[in-house]
Amino acid sequence: MNAHPSLGLDDVVHQRVRLGILTVAHEARRVEFGYLRDQLDLTAGNLSKHLTVLETAGLIEVEKGYEGRRARTWITLTPAGTTALADEIGRLKQLIARVETTPEDR
Amino acid sequence: MTTNPISADGDPRRMLAEVRALSRRVRVDQRMTWAALLVLGATTLLAIPFDWFGMRVDCHADGSCEFARNGMLYFWPAAMLLAYAVIAVCYVRAARARGVGARVLPYAITGAVTAVVFPAAWLAVFLYFRSHPYPDGPLPYWYLVLDRLVMPWGMIGVALLVLVWLERNLALLAFTAGYLALVLLILPMNDGFASPHFSLRAGMALPQVLIGLVLLLGAAGFARAGRRQ
Repeated sequence: MNAHPSLGLDDVVHQRVRLGILTVAHEARRVEFGYLRDQLDLTAGNLSKHLTVLETAGLIEVEKGYEGRRARTWITLTPAGTTALADEIGRLKQLIARVETTPEDR
Repeated sequence: MTTNPISADGDPRRMLAEVRALSRRVRVDQRMTWAALLVLGATTLLAIPFDWFGMRVDCHADGSCEFARNGMLYFWPAAMLLAYAVIAVCYVRAARARGVGARVLPYAITGAVTAVVFPAAWLAVFLYFRSHPYPDGPLPYWYLVLDRLVMPWGMIGVALLVLVWLERNLALLAFTAGYLALVLLILPMNDGFASPHFSLRAGMALPQVLIGLVLLLGAAGFARAGRRQ
């Protein structure tokens, strides 16, 4: 029998804010800190904590620099991050499919 | 009511829905559809004098004329490459200013390929008719449509289809479908409007003016819609 899809969920990715960060970074290819903060409706401190978790896990790369005089922080998904995001979305789909195909308790 | 974009606490259906909503929002922020249409419309209008003055026309005593649109061959390949490079730079700069990256490589590659297709098709037709007789009767309809497709305006439609895919932009898909219908099926892009009121050159220029205006109107429409969003 197949293992339940929830057993394969990665705690680092299966978290609403971090999943949002990976999603935006994947779609945008490269995303600026301020854009992520606005899209996810987070404080800078809160976002930084989640970025640190993802960076430590090797799922994103954080690059700090300047554009003119303005300090900018850019976030890029690593190949491991792309895989982790695809796996998470695959597992979410499996969970939904399982819920929809499991007969109701009598 | 909260507007937090990622608010699903573990519910897979909601998490997946919110992932899709976030992806869609990023794609909307990456769009610069109006800039692409503006550049392509301006290039189309700019091509008209090259076509007009670069066209070789030989009219015979019986009133029939032969023409060769050499000006287009000199203008379009370079203009297409330049136009797609300008569009790619516009996309990258605008996306960067908004805080996101941009996917322009497939579009730039399509631009480069379409820039090659037109002169290649022109050369192939030229070489073919050098060793084969020109048909006496009217050309089949599919030939005219194929001819219009490989012309620069048809290639613009193909590049717009790639942009539709990149932007997942349904409004642009509807615009492109209408544009391609106009360019391939309605307007006589390859042989111009035949009318006693127009010269041959004016008959060729008129469809180009219409296409240029359609692209510019599309640019204005998409810019306005973008501002509203």
